[in-house]
Amino acid sequence: MDVVVDQLTQIWAGRGGTEVVALDHFSHRFRSGRIACLLGPSGCGKSTLVQIVGGIEQATSGAVRIEDPQHRTVARPLGADSVMMWQNLNLFPWRSVVDNVAFGPEMQGMPKAERYARARALIASVGLRGFENHLPKQLSGGMRQRVALARALIMERPILLMDEPFAALDAQTKIVMQEELLRIFDETHKTILFVTHAIEEAILLGDEVVVMTARPGRIKEVIAIDLPRPRSLEMVNSKEFGALFDRAFHLIREEVMKTMAQQAAAEQSEGAAT
Amino acid sequence: MSKASGSPNLLERSLPWLSIAAVVAAWEGAVRFHGIAPIYLPAPSSVLYYLWRMIADGSMAYNLGITLIRIFVGFALAAVTGILLGVLMGMSRNVARVADIWIAALYPLPKISLIPLLIIWVGTGEAYKIVISTISAFFPIVISTYAGIRQADSGLVKAAKDLGANARQIQLKVVIPSAIPSIFAGLHLGMGVAIVLVVAAEMIGGSSQGGMGWLLISSGQVMETEKVFASLIVLAVVGALIIKLQQWADRKVAPWVDHD
Repeated sequence: MDVVVDQLTQIWAGRGGTEVVALDHFSHRFRSGRIACLLGPSGCGKSTLVQIVGGIEQATSGAVRIEDPQHRTVARPLGADSVMMWQNLNLFPWRSVVDNVAFGPEMQGMPKAERYARARALIASVGLRGFENHLPKQLSGGMRQRVALARALIMERPILLMDEPFAALDAQTKIVMQEELLRIFDETHKTILFVTHAIEEAILLGDEVVVMTARPGRIKEVIAIDLPRPRSLEMVNSKEFGALFDRAFHLIREEVMKTMAQQAAAEQSEGAAT
Repeated sequence: MSKASGSPNLLERSLPWLSIAAVVAAWEGAVRFHGIAPIYLPAPSSVLYYLWRMIADGSMAYNLGITLIRIFVGFALAAVTGILLGVLMGMSRNVARVADIWIAALYPLPKISLIPLLIIWVGTGEAYKIVISTISAFFPIVISTYAGIRQADSGLVKAAKDLGANARQIQLKVVIPSAIPSIFAGLHLGMGVAIVLVVAAEMIGGSSQGGMGWLLISSGQVMETEKVFASLIVLAVVGALIIKLQQWADRKVAPWVDHD
């Protein structure tokens, strides 16, 4: 399924009646069966974008369409074809692993035996067999990530929205989870929108890297990543990877500098006002 | 052998008990050797003797049992109505608006000041003691429940919605469970005030219907100070046991919460 984002603008009400433009006429076609990584400095609206695509936030103006392979817009409400994996996971702390994973089917009224069978199979496939009855707080950070991933995958939605899901992990666990995601992608070929601020991660995972500008968020450049699949971490050392990294790095550095200048200016004007 | 700084040795662990033993010993010595009249301060040994006699003749169990029944019936009524109203307030803005003003008006009122009115309305029987403990426990329970429902993690609500939960399912499966720690805090507060109010009510309107409050006041009136002390010891121990029981129940019902 293609995700077509058309002239999307999101404006928040800021302090003292000011307006913060989080997204400014953002347009892009996220192609079916591909991983698009949204890369940009903090506050560039990349999380806002995936939340709008997932039907969780309402945009101020503009539209998001989901198109089937024949480029017909699907009639279902926005969010019905996608599922979100959250930055802070949002696991239900009172539910065991299996009950967290089976949450979606439970809400749809699937009988207990059936949803448990499906949940158990997914839990095993993300390497958590034996932890079905643990509570989230009894698991490590990486294991909790796997629960969140399984809880999203059980929905069998064609579009997976990932909002910096690995940002809080330590370096080793992050690598393992990236490989896990690549494996799942190679098996299922979902359409994935992956928000990150890590350049290496964006290039390693993505078919394209959408570099965004500092606030207000627009597209600065779309970098096509033509590294072969299946991807593996060894590619990070290749010459092609290095060239892509440099390109993305320079684009991002400009934007980070701009953000810092904006912040400094804002602080100065605040200081002048007081 | 190295000693972990986190685990105290035998002496350190027995220190609190030793301090109690020391105070009791000093008390015993002061009464015996300085001739303090037992109606002011009886010796611990004679308090224990009276305690034993009251246990042996069944009067302690009888009065304690009556008090506990009143506490638990009042508390249970308050828990059911308080949680129910708190949840309804969390689900409906209009219920919250109406209930808010009543709670704001009635909560600051010392519940003990309702005793004269209650005696006029329902007399000095069981109804009066149960009603006073229900009213006193009700407020902290309803307030904590409402607060817990309102403070439900918006991230979890969004996640549930994303996973296909409808509004009713979000209430039942996300908002109410996430309010449980707050509800428990309310139940603890409610139990504490229910104990206070039942014993106080037994002292005031109790006449001859028994209970720990009646035991205290009737022993005090005839200067049986040993019985007063014995009753206080039992109340302190039972109060501590009730708190322990609640903490145990918290862990059983809500193992995901970081207790203590």
